[in-house]
Amino acid sequence: MNDAAILSVTGLRARVADEDLHILRGVDLTIRPGEIHAIMGPNGSGKSTLAKVVAGHPAYEATGGSVTFRGEDLLDMEPDERSQAGVFMAFQYPVEIPGVSIANFLRTSLQARLEDDEELDLFDFQELLMERMELLDMDPSFAQRPVNDGFSGGEKKRNEILQMAVLKPSLALMDETDSGLDIDALKIVAQGVNTLRQENPDMSVLLITHYQRILNYIIPDMVHVMFRGRIVESGGPEVAMELEARGYEEYRKAHVA
Amino acid sequence: MSRVVTEPEKPRLAFGTGVVPRAGAVDPDWLRVRRAKAWDVYLDTPLPSTRSEEWRYTDLSRMLPLDALVPANASLAVPAMANGDGTVPEPLRRAMALDRHSAGRIVDVDGAIVAVELDESLARQGVVLKSLRQAARDGDPLVESLLATKAVPASEGKFPALNAALWTDGVFLRVPANVHLDGPIRLSRWVSHSGSATFTRILIVAENHSQVSFVDECLSPDFESPTLVNTAVELFSRAGAQIQYVSLQRMGKGGFYLANQRTLAERDSTLDTLNVALGGSVGRVDLNARLLGPGANSDMLGLYFGDHDQHFDFNTSQDHVAPHAHSDLLYKGALDDSARGVFRGIIRVHEGAQGTDAYQTNRNLILSDRAVATSLPNLEIGADDVRCSHGATVGQLDAESLFYLMSRGLNREQAERLVVLGFLGEVLSRLPLGGVTEKVTRAIEAKLGNVR
Repeated sequence: MNDAAILSVTGLRARVADEDLHILRGVDLTIRPGEIHAIMGPNGSGKSTLAKVVAGHPAYEATGGSVTFRGEDLLDMEPDERSQAGVFMAFQYPVEIPGVSIANFLRTSLQARLEDDEELDLFDFQELLMERMELLDMDPSFAQRPVNDGFSGGEKKRNEILQMAVLKPSLALMDETDSGLDIDALKIVAQGVNTLRQENPDMSVLLITHYQRILNYIIPDMVHVMFRGRIVESGGPEVAMELEARGYEEYRKAHVA
Repeated sequence: MSRVVTEPEKPRLAFGTGVVPRAGAVDPDWLRVRRAKAWDVYLDTPLPSTRSEEWRYTDLSRMLPLDALVPANASLAVPAMANGDGTVPEPLRRAMALDRHSAGRIVDVDGAIVAVELDESLARQGVVLKSLRQAARDGDPLVESLLATKAVPASEGKFPALNAALWTDGVFLRVPANVHLDGPIRLSRWVSHSGSATFTRILIVAENHSQVSFVDECLSPDFESPTLVNTAVELFSRAGAQIQYVSLQRMGKGGFYLANQRTLAERDSTLDTLNVALGGSVGRVDLNARLLGPGANSDMLGLYFGDHDQHFDFNTSQDHVAPHAHSDLLYKGALDDSARGVFRGIIRVHEGAQGTDAYQTNRNLILSDRAVATSLPNLEIGADDVRCSHGATVGQLDAESLFYLMSRGLNREQAERLVVLGFLGEVLSRLPLGGVTEKVTRAIEAKLGNVR
């Protein structure tokens, strides 16, 4: 069973580097190719931290358990190695890089995947970029803008989806991609993800969210509830519905006791 | 004036009174007198010390062994058209080959002009591009009235005085009224002797409603001992004229680049500057922009990227003498290893300069724990109806940006390279000038390559 998993998280414990308090206190999670998993939970439950630890954010330190991606030990890899292996994280707060165009950024990202003596063909790249933007119904001029510099919240998230479309990951971690988006922007982003999955049904998605509403547009195979650093409940899409109705109160009662 | 002239074996700057008459041996009388007076000012002016505000962070007495320098004693040799002249050193030739279209070129090797080229059609329209020394000898009245008088006179300080006394040659460029140049004039400079001191001047006059851009590129090999290049840049834009001046400092190790630049912008004229400091061991630029007429405009741009133990110091001032003028300064620097960057800038709004618009921004990106940036923006306002702002930032390549880039597959060096190029590129995008952006970007990339 585990052989088929693309991502396998076992007993993962993690904390902010150099701090005592553990944010993840034994997380178990298995994602197979093509599956969409949603993780929900209240603020501070550790759901964003899980995505960041999988992507290799330097502010966090894994102190126990394992994260295996296609059989490889992910925790042993630098963030760039994880990216090149096929992991992609759509950021909750994408970073501004003044003076660097999206096109230049993506070209550099693709160039970094080649051997030292290999040169990315600029014509091929341009063609790929245009084709990807067309797929996502984006204006070609968007790629000439400096990365996230002066972007609206919606534009930043669309930029994340464009990068995902160009880099073609096998596992997409979406860290609260829906937060701060109005319903129209949310639909556009969700549509982008669905388009990419249609193109590559084997792409797996780990969707971190605070709200149920994005799950109306990106239908998950599994929904997990995270609470105080652990996954406390897993099930189908109905879990999200129930959670929307009940809130987190019962978990609070159960875990405070 | 009586003077005891002794001919020392090797002229030394501190003692070599004999250097002055020798430097001016073939000059017209007015220039010989001007040199002699400048020399007296030099002798009477103490070396700037770190006790003065303007030199607090650049200790000349420690960095520059002035007494040990040997003046480049360039002979006055001016081939009228030295197209393809074999005297141009190979590295300079390579740098020149990267340039795109030019309206004219002038080549300076060790303080002597060795080649001048100018589009024939421009020459026919009255554009003058020639050796400054030759222009003085030819009796050009503009040279006599403007050389080291209104812009960078000897009285400005120790080095302006030294330059006014000892300059061997330089550039004279005059653009007649209403003439527009469709490509830049390029000065390509080379210094070859370790331990030498080269004194060069640039005098540019753009008459009413004319337009010209000028790129001043200075290269050298690495030197074993400190080697001085001192430049006095005097720029005059008459009513409605436009001048763009770009300095590309790309000297080798041991190079000590010291420039005094002054821009005088008259009514409705535009006088923009870009100082790029990439090479040398020490670079110090004193830039004073004077806005002398209503509607005058100066964009002042600077870009520096220091690594190893490079030291760059910029001392700028924006003098709003006339009302309703505009100036906008943006200096950005990246500093790696134990490099040092100093920016000290002041906006002075003179009494009566109402309606002034003046801005000043200095931003630094620190790439190493040992690199240091010092930023001292300042305002002095003598009018009440003005819009002025100044700001300075010193920031590090933050962990979040680095992670963002690495999460897309870039390794640490590639991420750093991209951020630095983007950060500095903002300056270049403000002054699109044929080939300068590509050349500077390539030079920055080469330096970033060294970092790896």
